[in-house]
Amino acid sequence: MDFKLTEEQELVRQNMREFAKTYVDPIAAEIDENSRYPEEVIKRLSAMGWMGMPYPSEYGGAGTDYVTYAIAVEELSKSCAATGFTMSVHTGLAAGPIFYYGNEEQKKKYGAPLCNGGALGAFAFTEPGAGTDVGAATTTADKDGDAYILNGTKTFTSNGPNADTYVVFALTDKAAGASKGLSAFIIPKGTPGLRVGEHFKKMGIRASQTSEIILKDCRIPKENLLGQEGIGLKIAMGSFDHGRIGIAAQAVGIAQAALDESISYAKQRVQFGKPISKNQAIQWMIADMATEVQAGRFMYMYAAWLKDQGLPFAKEAAMAKLWCAEMCNRHASKAVQIHGGYGYCKGFKVERLLRDAKITEIYEGTSEAQRMVIAGNVLR
Amino acid sequence: MAGVWILAENLEQSIELLTIGLQLAGEIGTDLAAISWQPETADDLIAHGVDEVILLPPLTAGQALEAYIPAIVERAQIDQPEVFLIASTLKGKELAARIASRLDAGLGSECQTLCWDAGRKSLVIERLVYGGTGVQKVCCLGRPQMATIPPRTFEPAPCLTGRDGRITQLNVSPFSPVTVLEKKAREHQTRDITKARVVVCVGRGMEKPEDLEKARELAGLIGGEVGCTRPISEEMHWMPEDTCIGLSGKTIKADLYIGLGVSGQIQHLTGIRDTRIICIVNKDENAPIFAAADYGIVGDLYQVLPGLIEEIKQVKA
Amino acid sequence: MPNILSCFKWVIDEAYIKTGPSLKLDMNFVDYKISDYDKNAIEEGVLLQEKFGGSVAVITVGKPEDTKGLKDALSRGPEKAYFVNDTSFSDLEPSQTASLMAEAIHDRIPFDIILCGEGSSDLYAQQVGPRLAEKLDIPCICYASKIQVQDNQVLVERKVDDGLEVVQAPMPVLITVSPDINIPRIPGLKDTLGASKKPVIEIAGSELNAVSARLETIETRAASLERSGRKFSGDQAGIKALVEALLKEGAI
Repeated sequence: MDFKLTEEQELVRQNMREFAKTYVDPIAAEIDENSRYPEEVIKRLSAMGWMGMPYPSEYGGAGTDYVTYAIAVEELSKSCAATGFTMSVHTGLAAGPIFYYGNEEQKKKYGAPLCNGGALGAFAFTEPGAGTDVGAATTTADKDGDAYILNGTKTFTSNGPNADTYVVFALTDKAAGASKGLSAFIIPKGTPGLRVGEHFKKMGIRASQTSEIILKDCRIPKENLLGQEGIGLKIAMGSFDHGRIGIAAQAVGIAQAALDESISYAKQRVQFGKPISKNQAIQWMIADMATEVQAGRFMYMYAAWLKDQGLPFAKEAAMAKLWCAEMCNRHASKAVQIHGGYGYCKGFKVERLLRDAKITEIYEGTSEAQRMVIAGNVLR
Repeated sequence: MAGVWILAENLEQSIELLTIGLQLAGEIGTDLAAISWQPETADDLIAHGVDEVILLPPLTAGQALEAYIPAIVERAQIDQPEVFLIASTLKGKELAARIASRLDAGLGSECQTLCWDAGRKSLVIERLVYGGTGVQKVCCLGRPQMATIPPRTFEPAPCLTGRDGRITQLNVSPFSPVTVLEKKAREHQTRDITKARVVVCVGRGMEKPEDLEKARELAGLIGGEVGCTRPISEEMHWMPEDTCIGLSGKTIKADLYIGLGVSGQIQHLTGIRDTRIICIVNKDENAPIFAAADYGIVGDLYQVLPGLIEEIKQVKA
Repeated sequence: MPNILSCFKWVIDEAYIKTGPSLKLDMNFVDYKISDYDKNAIEEGVLLQEKFGGSVAVITVGKPEDTKGLKDALSRGPEKAYFVNDTSFSDLEPSQTASLMAEAIHDRIPFDIILCGEGSSDLYAQQVGPRLAEKLDIPCICYASKIQVQDNQVLVERKVDDGLEVVQAPMPVLITVSPDINIPRIPGLKDTLGASKKPVIEIAGSELNAVSARLETIETRAASLERSGRKFSGDQAGIKALVEALLKEGAI
């Protein structure tokens, strides 16, 4: 039993903090307000080695363990949840399938640029009619000689408008349905027949760009199939399993920011002649926040540690994601409460944190989907 | 032989050093000597209380003050002063540390307070540490006991009439392996903000260099100078470096400080702590500087500043 | 091609120091960092090495457990680190640090240029650099804002009280750098992870002569900066009230 981070992990936290403080804090409010993709920051993250952390160094990754990666996501998300999510969805969901299921050629051609070539990845899974109900997917991939022809529409594709490489899921065998007939494909941007929709105007994580991906007779060579036909659902579910660790870390980052803001505000804000931090009502809120932020951190770190040990971690990742997401919503809301009217106004970070927090209960499996996963595991 | 020495780098600060130097000499029961290389100041030094001026020969071209180190050290080994005080100018700090090293002496840097502890037979010094968060009280072990003292820590010593003192000319050859090839004056000559009665200080809240004009207007109106925080001079280069206020910049002792868009890093606060009235304008109600201020306006400086200028104009009229 | 040695100190990060009751400093939850000014010394060492070739190493004096600082320093670009350590090397005063470092360097470490920050972020005594130069009996240039290497000489622009001086000195030389000389890099991920693989050469305190202190700390307490902090609103009424208050104080 060892709760101590290694010196490397502490330095990773410190240097990501420094990066976020220098390059992200100054623009976080602006990119939220304008719903702007911070391309300059993402390119810099890539150049400094942060965009392919857990993948092998021979492909430009840094070969870190998942604990280290999740720490970096938390730190970045503390400054800007949208930027943290861009990194997390790119690393966990887009690069993940390529490195875990791709062949040598695919790892070199598509994986390496995602790690350190400044390329951004997206994961196109959800469809307008198939969210949690993955069985309702209708996008198809029909074999045509040495190629597949894809047709269908994907929605809520994070990084959709800016990605260089898409991991797209489509049915190669409609009769078999999603469980046996779904396959995963790599599609580079600019492929004829691949169209990116307008980016959605979201409530939170507004600097992360989300769009539809429309596939119309999109012809891609068979070399771009990931693994083999029919394992698409396995790839997607496996990706969500580790992706959830990233979301849990992001949620802890948001909650930590809410706590930091609340502490600093409560110590300064004077009402009835004393700082509001002297009021027990505020103290208890802050004590609860501090406790649960800590608990959430232990949960995502434990899930990441299990993965690093090669042990089953799907249940723990789902638990961490579920709990951290709900926890950060509670505390972003409390942080606004502590800030009173000011916290409800633009210009105070907690206003953004509350809007950003909500999505953590929705994406990469809603809280309800997490409960399904957890129940499935414990009621076996 | 004099038991208390001061290094008389410039006359103004030397006269401040004399205030504490003479007090220490009185308590120890000894004379006071000033090490100088400026014969023209010898009479002034004596008039303000120096008993002996130890005069060094002029430097030759390409030499800087550190060339005096060997001679000062040699003389100190002969005279064995108890106490050696040096003004903490850039040069003073360098010389003090190097002389202390050669004499194997303890040196208290940038002392805020200084007193003689008769029990310990030692200087007891207070100085700031941890970026201004803490105050460290130290005493020197061994001899001489050395200290560097920031400008304006002590009032100037009074000028006494009819004082006598002796001048000892040292016949030495200054030497340093460091050669000065060129001297450049400061790019922007500014007035010394450490002496201003009122200082208007701009911080990160200022959005563009043109906006400094408004700060200058306010300063002009109330007879003050404009200073800045470290990012403004060091990162943005909007203001010359000698207007930067803080631990590694200037320390001010103004009557009034008005901070505009200053967040209040501890290192900056350390530079303004001796100001009588601290007044700030910052839109972030949580900015740490509010806790260290006497008066604060919570508001956007781009709205408050013009209003403030207008109001002061009206009051003056 | 100069051998460059940058010195750094592993210090308490003052941001974590709290003020306890009756002006006691609460150090219970502090974290440590490389002294801010020493980051400039490390960065300048790396920049000089990139420009003029040679090698760049770091050296620090500290307690055996202060290994995180070595990794932090090495992640900023130097090739190796010298670690002068002993369980007794805590709360050293500047003359002790300088003497230990001088003895460790002398006869053991090849150098042409030693770089130091202008002071440490904790004590800010600004003594170790110049004292080290004296102990090693080499030229000393303080408050450098620009450094160039030419043949066997350094050409340095340094800050003096009335402006700048361009000075020249033969190597080996010690230079303290002013914080505006560069902006220290933020180490990337690979630099951070690669730091553990770089060599650390340990120099044990038992190999060195004991040095006694020349300063004794009697006490360290918190500095109080608290003021009344009367706040006014940013509207016309608030401004009027402030000006009235300042007039009453006789400040304007």
